[in-house]
Amino acid sequence: MNVVFAVKQYISKMIEDSGPGMKVLLMDKETTGIVSMVYTQSEILQKEVYLFERIDSQNREIMKHLKAICFLRPMKENVDYLIQELRRPKYSIYFIYFSNVISKSDVKSLAEADEQEVVAEVQEFYGDYIAVNPHLFSLNILGCCQGRNWDPAQLSRTTQGLTALLLSLKKCPMIRYQLSSEAAKRLAECVKQVITKEYELFEFRRTEVPPLLLILDRCDDAITPLLNQWTYQAMVHELLGINNNRIDLSRVPGISKDLREVVLSAENDEFYANNMYLNFAEIGSNIKNLMEDFQKKKPKEQQKLESIADMKNIKRLLQNPKVTEFDAARLVMLYALHYERHSSNSLPGLMLDLRNKGVSEKYRKLVSAVVEYGGKRVRGSDLFSPKDAVAITKQFLKGLKGVENVYTQHQPFLHETLDHLIKGKLKENLYPYLGPSTLRDRPQDIIVFIIGGATYEEALTVYNLNRTTPGVRTVLGGTTVHNTKSFLEEVLASGLHSRSKESSQVTSRSASRR
Amino acid sequence: MASLDDPGEVREGFLCPLCLKDLQSFYQLQSHYEEEHSGEDRDVKGQIKSLVQKARKAKNRLLKREGDDRAEAGTQGYESFSYGGVDPYLWEPQELGAVRSHLSDFKKHRAARIDHYVVEVNKLIIRLEKLTAFDRTNTESAKIRAIEKSVVPWVNDQDVPFCPDCGNKFSIRNRRHHCRLCGSIMCKKCMELVSLPLAYKLTSASKDSLSAHTSPSQSPSSVHGSRRGSISSVSSVSSVLDEKDDERIRCCTHCKDTLLKREQQMDEKEHTPDIVKLYEKLRLCMEKVDQKAPEYIRMAASLNAGETTYSLEHASDLRMEVQRVYELIDALSKKILTLDLKQDPPPHPNTLRLQRMIRYSATLFVQEKLLGLMSLPTKEQFEELKKKRKQELERKRILEREAALESQRRLEERQSDLASRATNGEVASLRRGPAPLRKAEGWLPLSGGQRQSEDSDPLLQQIHNITSFIRQAKAAGRTDEVRTLQENLRQLQDEYDQQQTEKAIELSRRQAEEEDLQREQLQMLREREREREQFQAASLHTRTRSLDFRDSRPFQLEPGREPRTHLAHALDLGSSPVPGSAARKTPSPSSALEPSRVWSGPPALGPGFLPQSITSQHSEVPSLNPFDEEDLCSPAAEGAASPPVAEPPCDSAVRAHKEYNPFEEEEEEEAVAGNPFTDPDSSVPSPFDEEDECPHQRPSGPPVPGNPFEEALCTNPFEVDGDSGREGEEPIEEELLLQQIDNIKAYIFDAKQCGRLDEVEVLTENLRELKRTLARQKGGAH
Repeated sequence: MNVVFAVKQYISKMIEDSGPGMKVLLMDKETTGIVSMVYTQSEILQKEVYLFERIDSQNREIMKHLKAICFLRPMKENVDYLIQELRRPKYSIYFIYFSNVISKSDVKSLAEADEQEVVAEVQEFYGDYIAVNPHLFSLNILGCCQGRNWDPAQLSRTTQGLTALLLSLKKCPMIRYQLSSEAAKRLAECVKQVITKEYELFEFRRTEVPPLLLILDRCDDAITPLLNQWTYQAMVHELLGINNNRIDLSRVPGISKDLREVVLSAENDEFYANNMYLNFAEIGSNIKNLMEDFQKKKPKEQQKLESIADMKNIKRLLQNPKVTEFDAARLVMLYALHYERHSSNSLPGLMLDLRNKGVSEKYRKLVSAVVEYGGKRVRGSDLFSPKDAVAITKQFLKGLKGVENVYTQHQPFLHETLDHLIKGKLKENLYPYLGPSTLRDRPQDIIVFIIGGATYEEALTVYNLNRTTPGVRTVLGGTTVHNTKSFLEEVLASGLHSRSKESSQVTSRSASRR
Repeated sequence: MASLDDPGEVREGFLCPLCLKDLQSFYQLQSHYEEEHSGEDRDVKGQIKSLVQKARKAKNRLLKREGDDRAEAGTQGYESFSYGGVDPYLWEPQELGAVRSHLSDFKKHRAARIDHYVVEVNKLIIRLEKLTAFDRTNTESAKIRAIEKSVVPWVNDQDVPFCPDCGNKFSIRNRRHHCRLCGSIMCKKCMELVSLPLAYKLTSASKDSLSAHTSPSQSPSSVHGSRRGSISSVSSVSSVLDEKDDERIRCCTHCKDTLLKREQQMDEKEHTPDIVKLYEKLRLCMEKVDQKAPEYIRMAASLNAGETTYSLEHASDLRMEVQRVYELIDALSKKILTLDLKQDPPPHPNTLRLQRMIRYSATLFVQEKLLGLMSLPTKEQFEELKKKRKQELERKRILEREAALESQRRLEERQSDLASRATNGEVASLRRGPAPLRKAEGWLPLSGGQRQSEDSDPLLQQIHNITSFIRQAKAAGRTDEVRTLQENLRQLQDEYDQQQTEKAIELSRRQAEEEDLQREQLQMLREREREREQFQAASLHTRTRSLDFRDSRPFQLEPGREPRTHLAHALDLGSSPVPGSAARKTPSPSSALEPSRVWSGPPALGPGFLPQSITSQHSEVPSLNPFDEEDLCSPAAEGAASPPVAEPPCDSAVRAHKEYNPFEEEEEEEAVAGNPFTDPDSSVPSPFDEEDECPHQRPSGPPVPGNPFEEALCTNPFEVDGDSGREGEEPIEEELLLQQIDNIKAYIFDAKQCGRLDEVEVLTENLRELKRTLARQKGGAH
């Protein structure tokens, strides 16, 4: 169930099978990302892979003394490039691996292009996803939905990614999905379809308890990505943005050339490996100074606000000139999500405050868009459950007692969902099975996929679940891994804001009427 | 690092992996590494470390941007936290994910296509062969044409009004030309020519490869395309008017294309670029390193631990060899890096990148492997190490012996307990009777612990040192130094002896205070022992002795008492220990009757022997630790004041009681020490312990009566044994066995010296086997 290892094994196998000699790795844009997540350059150099080329690069030289390992997604354009390549081969011999299922007709046209008999291998190796952590994968898709429904291209990509994941882990799962999300249902059906169609591929040794695939939708929990996440990994992502384990520092003024891009990889950075799941207060003892820096930069009040509990200070806070435009909007979003249907909803007033503060139109629009995206209307389950009120009080009391770690008071909703799932208590009317068969025992191998993107905070949750519940192995995936900014972009890309104006007006109207 | 693109800046050359300092050459890097980082953990992977540094630097940089400047950031250490449970990183290994191969499908489709392609190429080659088979220059045009036409039927002029390639109409001015290879028609503009050299080149290769290319579906008739169409024997006017083709063959663009492709293929097949040759060499070198480096590391580790399994010279040779390979790797990769760099049209950027990457990976390789290449001790250091190890081993052995002794004692106790329970009360008590006495006496010498403390005595250490210096000096042939050293040694020993006698007078209680933990434990045991002894001594007096033990017991007691009477003069005579050893060696209690006979030998060898014996021993067996130990020990056996008192009775009593014990002991002992001299003694641990003590106990006046030299020479302590204990057939067989054991031990030693490890293993196995038989036999005999 280790996704990093699964992909790495595929790559290693490719390289091994090509035998000794100088090698070039031919990839497309996406597979380049996939490979770079699991292999470092020095590692791969040791295996005699010296060059990395893009299949679409026109500037490649004929080097007949090299062997070519092609790792490509089975897309039409890649097949075309490959056909051109085989007609006029630049390398002595070709080992071709597709990251997913390829059609028979494509194989045929490739074969007919190989007049010089340079192809030695054609295989499907299902490393068709970005392995971020051993239990976290992503598909790097931003904006997977149009409105409430799938962008068809992204649906097919997501289906491919998920089925590839299942194949790489050799799991043929039962599927559950979030009933309230149409997208979740569609994806579940698509995955099922592939499994049915490629039933030969999915014939694995049966385990006692079949694995489970749970498909969720981000809109069920729009809170988590809006909160600052206080683990090291999440924080780096929040503040700098991690893309394929890489941080782009090029905008840091005066940074030296070799630091423009820093790779954060648990496999190579001991510090990172040790701390990536620690929440920040815990790391505090390790890098206390770093902590202080952030505290200096941010107003004290705001940090407390990261917990949902004392949202009522928002108004006062909005007037604080130190709060940035973005953070102010974020606060209002959280407030709006929380008190959406509350009788004394003062959202319009807060919106006014935002305007007075000079927060740009773009952000103000986003507030309503977020509500539209993740508001109560679309939520299948109660994100702020009655139990939540108790919990909040509890947390609040704890806070008064001086709990050291105020930064992780928020537990992502996913925690509860998974907790129920593991205990066999997840309601079937909210998360039905696809198809007639249901799981009688408690699940052991769980794959959770969040349409609309997961977060590092949820990754931490899953990590902790893995560590605390023996016998249960959970892998988390998402169309992408979000920070607040990318989440808002996701909301924007879903196109909800265009329609949201009226709906938010409706909301505010109804609120003001009360 | 994970960047798969060309790294922005690949730092070249010999960078120290720990501090990234650029050192110009292999040697500089190595010496730098040894100087600067030798203390650091050698396992540190430089790459990773530098990465961590990078990441940390980035973090710091980031912080600075965020506002505060803090210089010390990044220096804090960090610890890892753990939640318990199973980290996803530690999930059980998984097999390779699902795969699906399309190769057979692919090949099927390709085969159909390839057949077509290959047939076409082969057909052209065959025709080309026919066209060049005759002497074109000396044949007239008409005849050439006739031959050409016979090779391939020409298309009818009338059938082709337009050039099929460019579409121009044929006329008197735009005449038709025929492809000699396929017979088709084209205009002059679209016509291509195949020069004779090219034709020869293509056809010459085809002769071998043709057969390889043929495939079952190949049948000439099936492939006739429309272009090669109708058969015509009518000679075209246009063709007749052509100039003579003696140097070239006309053909269409299609045929020419196919031929050129073919030529390219042939070229590639034959041509190996320089980089490939160099690279192959480079890989060979790397393989060699992978092979030799672990071997060297094994050697170096062993040598650094002071072991003598490998020879220092051999290891340093190997080191040189590995270093040379490293240099070669460096040189080769450098050569690859600069390959064709100065060529006029500079090489393609990809070529340069390839070269850079090869160089980079070679540098990584050297860096990584170099880290593991620990240095060798110098000769002097090695001697030191050897000495240290020897001492270490000795201490260990003593500890083991102690442990063995204790376990034996426990076993004994248990046995006696068992016996007491098994037999009726009286016999049991009788049996128990002598036991305490024996035990009490056996403990009197204060066995292991005491010696251990003596071992750590600075004086003793100095003696050890000097003896080894003497050995070295001897080896170096410095006789004067040897003499002075020997003088020193004697003085030291005198002093030590004095000390020892003083110590011997002071009782064990005082020593117990000085001793370490183990000693304390022993002390406690002893205390318990004493209690029991008192109790049992009391019972001894009150009860009569048992029938079967009565005979032997007096004898056992006798030697025990005898030494005591000797005690006074034992100190200066130095002959008293021999009874101990003799008794020790006698396999049955009865031999204890004749200790005197045994002692008569050693004293004869006599006084004044000391310096010689020591030096000669050393020269005989230069690096043989066990022997050294032996000579230190055996002469000492004489002087021991208190030990011998207790030991013989203990020994014989033990034997009387439990025959198999000694053998058990022996096996253990030998397995550990592998010392031929220890095993006879080892049957009773305490006497052997005593031997350790000996050099100090040696009386100041007449030195070394018991001649260790002789022993070392004959390598068979059992000769003495044979003298003392004549016991009939059984012992003879035993003797044979023992002798064999000794021989094997000598072989083992020899093999070890020469570094033939595999032999050592085999021999050790043999040895064990023999010992087992011996034990069995002895067990059966008694």
